[in-house]
Amino acid sequence: MMPQPHFVQPPRIATWLVDLFTLPEEESILGDIVEEFSQLALRSGVPFARRWYWRQTVKTIAHLFGTGFRVAPWSTAAAVVGGFLLLRFASGLPDKVLSVITDRYLAFWSTHFQAYMWVLKGMVIGHLMASLFVGCMVALVAKGKEMVATMTLALVLCTLIGAALVWVATHLPIDVAWMLWSCADPLAIVVGGAIVRTRRSAATTQPSGA
Amino acid sequence: MTGRDYLGEFEHIIVLALLRLEDRAYGVTVRQEIEFRTKREVSIGAVYATLDRLEKKGYVKSRHGDPTPERGGRSKRFFRVTAKGVAAVNRTQQALQNMTEGLDLIGSYS
Repeated sequence: MMPQPHFVQPPRIATWLVDLFTLPEEESILGDIVEEFSQLALRSGVPFARRWYWRQTVKTIAHLFGTGFRVAPWSTAAAVVGGFLLLRFASGLPDKVLSVITDRYLAFWSTHFQAYMWVLKGMVIGHLMASLFVGCMVALVAKGKEMVATMTLALVLCTLIGAALVWVATHLPIDVAWMLWSCADPLAIVVGGAIVRTRRSAATTQPSGA
Repeated sequence: MTGRDYLGEFEHIIVLALLRLEDRAYGVTVRQEIEFRTKREVSIGAVYATLDRLEKKGYVKSRHGDPTPERGGRSKRFFRVTAKGVAAVNRTQQALQNMTEGLDLIGSYS
């Protein structure tokens, strides 16, 4: 008796990534990659098929990103500029809150330095939350282009941060932890976009009666 | 006739692949046909980006098939070339032929 070919699961993360960049009406793109992955897994083995799948994922996302921007350049650019301005405003809020708290309870902080250090950590988390919020807002505005808009904003920020890091590195001793931490804000923006995109996808694929 | 009526290199290849595949033309078969005949690796994203552009120009039309289990329940999108697309590929072929006419590409430039 011939063995029955079993369905091989394609890499979940890669599938999720392509899903983030495709609209529900573009499901055929992911369907094509999955179909060809199954054919390759049977013909050339699962490891080869997985490598091919990841290669296709990266190239396809690059094309979807470019196409997404070309299809609606002005609305995407408007969302990115709006997000940038919102980030300028929102990222300053944790600092303002902290300065108000420290000014008000100056005597307390001087005797409880450890607690003050915890507040500083809270401020760092506040920065991240602000970036996440901005990512969500940009994605909400750029409906259907959530990942394109948030990734563009993240790339703009990365460019600015990169330029600042180069300047710092040439003038001051390099703090690697601080350099790595600088990349957290753009990442939080992209995560915000992914959250909104995933929720929208789930809402459109759910049956209306559910 | 303007320069806009000609197909780009990859557009040209895709339309020719669609004409070869006839009613079997969807993402997977188009990608495989191009890889088989041109020996160059093509991503499904590049194929769809070009097909979408050709559809906007009115050179191809698409329709969705039924979802199938081997595609994780996702449908196929079949493509076919329109009369306008056939005219565009003929124009492009003719232009290329006119440009290469009289040139001994292998003998003179290899």
